[in-house]
Amino acid sequence: MALRYYWEDFTPGRVFETGTRTLSEQDITRFAREYDPQSYHTDAQAAKSSPYGGLIASGWQTCGVTMRLMCDGYLLETSCVGSPGLEELRWLKPVRPGDALRLKTTVIESTPSGKHANRGTVLFLWETLNQNGEVVVSMRGRQMFLRRTPA
Amino acid sequence: MSHKYYWEDFYQGQVRESGGYSLSEQEIIEFARKYDPQPFHTDKDKAQQSYFGGLIASGWQTASLCMRMICDVYLLEAASLGSPGVDEVRWVKPVRPGDTLHLKTTVLETRASTSRPDMGTVRSRSEVYNQNGELVMHMSGVGMFRRRSPGAG
Repeated sequence: MALRYYWEDFTPGRVFETGTRTLSEQDITRFAREYDPQSYHTDAQAAKSSPYGGLIASGWQTCGVTMRLMCDGYLLETSCVGSPGLEELRWLKPVRPGDALRLKTTVIESTPSGKHANRGTVLFLWETLNQNGEVVVSMRGRQMFLRRTPA
Repeated sequence: MSHKYYWEDFYQGQVRESGGYSLSEQEIIEFARKYDPQPFHTDKDKAQQSYFGGLIASGWQTASLCMRMICDVYLLEAASLGSPGVDEVRWVKPVRPGDTLHLKTTVLETRASTSRPDMGTVRSRSEVYNQNGELVMHMSGVGMFRRRSPGAG
């Protein structure tokens, strides 16, 4: 398979945008029953009397949607060889059933690997926005990619 | 509703541990098809050819399972007001079908809110280990909790 993006293609300042994805009430409660069974994620009735005033998605499910948008937006067409982790993850706004989420990815910094001549690391800012243009999740983290041309 | 744990019940150095949890091959593939469709999470054969030498769980599924363990160990019995986020998420080792994972979570710091006398925050480090005692993931997160007795400032 020919890949579209290698490490060299992630130049600082470059931005990738995606289409949208939504979570239904059923998607939200199903995820929450397995992974985050707090009542404002699992029970629309109970959620009404919570501080959130209604059902909201688990923050981890919003991260899952962010990952999915990232996969569809660029990641599946890259030479990515994994991620060591995230520096910072912030849940800034609740996500409710039917919200249309999209991802804006910004390249912050790009570093060639000191160990592997055929690899490099990229630091990204990922911002997931809702239909009102509000950032609901922001993450800063690194991904590792193979180079098109080894150093 | 009364809760078992309020902000005052958390203290620096407090450790909580969970029992064992595992993810089946089917659970790993189902999660990945929805949220992280990289072939080493969705396809056994392709995963075999990959750098990881076999199917591994999405790091987001491991993080989500970590959340489930946190819920079961104390959060569902706590007067929780949510979380603003986490820092230093690290995926240290791959998680494979059938691995038995458990949680060790340690309170790093507790702080009364300066703006809300009825609330305080707790910073914790959560570590997930596999059946061989290897650390597979860790993160540091902040939780907000109601106080049993609201303080001044």
